[in-house]
Amino acid sequence: MFGYYFTLGLRSLRRNRALTALMVLTLAVGVAASISTLTILHAMSGDPIPEKSRRLLVPHLDNGQVDGWAPGEKPDDVQMTYQDAVNLLKSGQGERRTVLFGTEMPLEPPRKDMPAFSSAGMAPTRDFFAMFNVRFLHGQPWTEADDARGADVVVLGRAMAEKLFGDANPVGRQIRLMNVPFTVAGVVDYWNPRPRYYKLIGGDTFGGADDFYIPFASAIRHEAGINGGMNCTTKREPGFAGLLASECTWLQFWFETRSSADRADLQSWLDRYAGEQRKLGRLKRNVPTHLYDVMEWMEELKIVGNDNKLSVWLAFGFLALCLVNTIGLLLAKFSVRASEIGVRRALGASRREIFSQFLIETGVIGLAGGLLGLALSFGALALIGMQSTEVAAMARMDWEMLGMTFVLSVAAALLAGLLPTWRACQVTPAIQLKSQ
Amino acid sequence: MEIRPILSALLRNKTGPILVAMQVALSLAILANALYIVNERRAVIARPSGLADEHSTFYVRARNLDTDGHEQRRATFKHEADLLRAVPGVASVAQVSQMPLSQSGWNTSITVDQRQERPSTSASMYLSADSIVHTFGLRLVEGRDFLPAERVELDRKDQAEPPPQIILTRALAEKLWPGVSAIGKSVYFGKQEVARAPQVIGVVEHLQTQSAQIDETGEFSIVMPLQQYGDSSTMFAVRTEPGQRDRVMKEAESVLRKSSATPMILEMRTVDQDRKDRYRGDVALQWMLVTVSLLMLLITCCGIVGMASLWVTQRRKQIGVRRALGARKIDILRYFIVENVMITSGGVFGGVALGLALNQLLVSKLEMARLPAGYLAGGALLFWLIGVIAAYGPAWKAASISPATATRSV
Repeated sequence: MFGYYFTLGLRSLRRNRALTALMVLTLAVGVAASISTLTILHAMSGDPIPEKSRRLLVPHLDNGQVDGWAPGEKPDDVQMTYQDAVNLLKSGQGERRTVLFGTEMPLEPPRKDMPAFSSAGMAPTRDFFAMFNVRFLHGQPWTEADDARGADVVVLGRAMAEKLFGDANPVGRQIRLMNVPFTVAGVVDYWNPRPRYYKLIGGDTFGGADDFYIPFASAIRHEAGINGGMNCTTKREPGFAGLLASECTWLQFWFETRSSADRADLQSWLDRYAGEQRKLGRLKRNVPTHLYDVMEWMEELKIVGNDNKLSVWLAFGFLALCLVNTIGLLLAKFSVRASEIGVRRALGASRREIFSQFLIETGVIGLAGGLLGLALSFGALALIGMQSTEVAAMARMDWEMLGMTFVLSVAAALLAGLLPTWRACQVTPAIQLKSQ
Repeated sequence: MEIRPILSALLRNKTGPILVAMQVALSLAILANALYIVNERRAVIARPSGLADEHSTFYVRARNLDTDGHEQRRATFKHEADLLRAVPGVASVAQVSQMPLSQSGWNTSITVDQRQERPSTSASMYLSADSIVHTFGLRLVEGRDFLPAERVELDRKDQAEPPPQIILTRALAEKLWPGVSAIGKSVYFGKQEVARAPQVIGVVEHLQTQSAQIDETGEFSIVMPLQQYGDSSTMFAVRTEPGQRDRVMKEAESVLRKSSATPMILEMRTVDQDRKDRYRGDVALQWMLVTVSLLMLLITCCGIVGMASLWVTQRRKQIGVRRALGARKIDILRYFIVENVMITSGGVFGGVALGLALNQLLVSKLEMARLPAGYLAGGALLFWLIGVIAAYGPAWKAASISPATATRSV
């Protein structure tokens, strides 16, 4: 019967054309508004690395001042000092670990026809590439020995490698960074997770790919320019050495554990570490240490802004309005078919049959609304994406959202159809037949 | 008045009227909140940055790929500033540490008393050994600009002591010393021991911070007559004569490039670009809210017209009978309009309640501000008007039904 009712529903689309068109359009507009805002929220808040997001952990030690601080207050900053980062790197805790900071420096291309330019990259340790599943196009990460001695080696992002060397494999060639020659160790294939969850503080959260990666120790040795946030609560000595010895927080640390169950071990190790540091007169606030996995970290740093949530809420409010409107239109459409229902009931159709027939008919309207809504959503997302390249990267529909469009549309239509369909079932055949 | 019969007729067939009233309520609730947010954002974007002529102001970040010592670099940048000043059409040039609205810069905590436990507030730091009061075109409302002798240049490798004089914004002065003049008052940065606490010598009307936060802290800025040199890069703010910015930017770039023997990296940005970037999200949200609001009005109108037309068709016979019994066209017209106004009124009352509830939700969950009553009152008026206008068409159609044809089949 489903197939037959479905065909009837399709045919019924042609009846009361103006009314049907209005219904489909209303549904489509409501669905498009909801889906386009939801797509952006989905892209912003989705799990960027589902296979290991629970095993990648950010440690936090609160090293703020005790003066003027009340227990329970939020920490001034969730980044890390150089001394803690170095200690944690040496700790051997977790399966892998890395520290990183954003850096910006002059880059002199090997080609003489290309002028020097300012270039932005990351200064992590070797484990970074394995931890965040970074795929290599050419070459490989630098070695642990490179990390240890702060070698002048560089891994290029694919776009930067192509800009500097064209399609050739640049491994082994040299570029000048900060007036120093660096040897290319590898090229990372296109890799630009958004949000850039591995470095969310003091940078373009939804920005483009990194131009390059150099060993953390090398960046420190050359006193590379820091591109990101820094928080200093105490006075520090001037110069880069002063920064390294200070309690300023400016580094991002990541642990990777073998399994998510190892988190408790890491937590207790971190507590012990904080205890030792307290004995040395540091970490005076004496608050518990924290570990955040990827999703907790994104939540903590409020990556999804209130404006995004507001848009989604209002869009769904709008969808609710469209639903109420559709209920009215469906009531109108079904009310003129009372005599048809009367005949069917008189010929033996049960209320159940009538109910499924009309509900399937509204489902067909929902499908039509979904199709049009999908087209409108693409249009809306294209419009939203015109703001900037960062937003355009967010405003992309994936299969999940595509399916969601139809589910939402059909569900909305069925919900709207419940009351009119129930009304249609209440038609008494005798009265209808009498008036014919 | 015929309100009683209309009401009892409505109560006999509630579904349609309830649906229309619900639409009005939902639209009114969302519309009032959306328009309020739009207006709020407009006010945020319209705040002055403090710059006298934003359209004519740009900045250059210059980086020399040299291996010079600190003193040499200091001389290079002085020379570059002089070159910029010599470009025709340039009104003023200053070496600066950061720009308003640029979303990159430094903050410091401020205390007014060294014994106090908590800092009074945090403020954005503008460092310059030139006059940014002149280059930005800031308006001094009290006190004076720094004298040349008060301007300090310090090697970056040395410990920087706060300068003895500072200028701050009126908003910050009002926050630190409410109701009294700030001139001559001392401030401290953090809890560090200083020989001399800096004294306020001037107050400027406006100077937004690099982030231009939406609350009062967006205006908490201080200016220090201090510059640290030794880095390979520096930033120059340039104000040009009105309308000359684009030409000056081109000439400034070529003049600077020609001046250096070593390669040089120049990044130029206008304040207009920074402003656009800073408020991009707010502008986008405004567009989204306005679009949704307009669509909502349209759909609600369609809903009212559609339902009213349906009722007219359903009641053709009754209208015919009423006309045959002596009702005039105006009576029928009035009947339908009054009926619709009653339904809309129900929706409007529901909408006001729903709008307040929605606002409460936005306040508690999304840190939005409380909705002023004016928006709900204005929205209510709008929907009453829409109700009458939308009902007029179907009501006129009803009034035009001729009694003879309508009652033919009775």
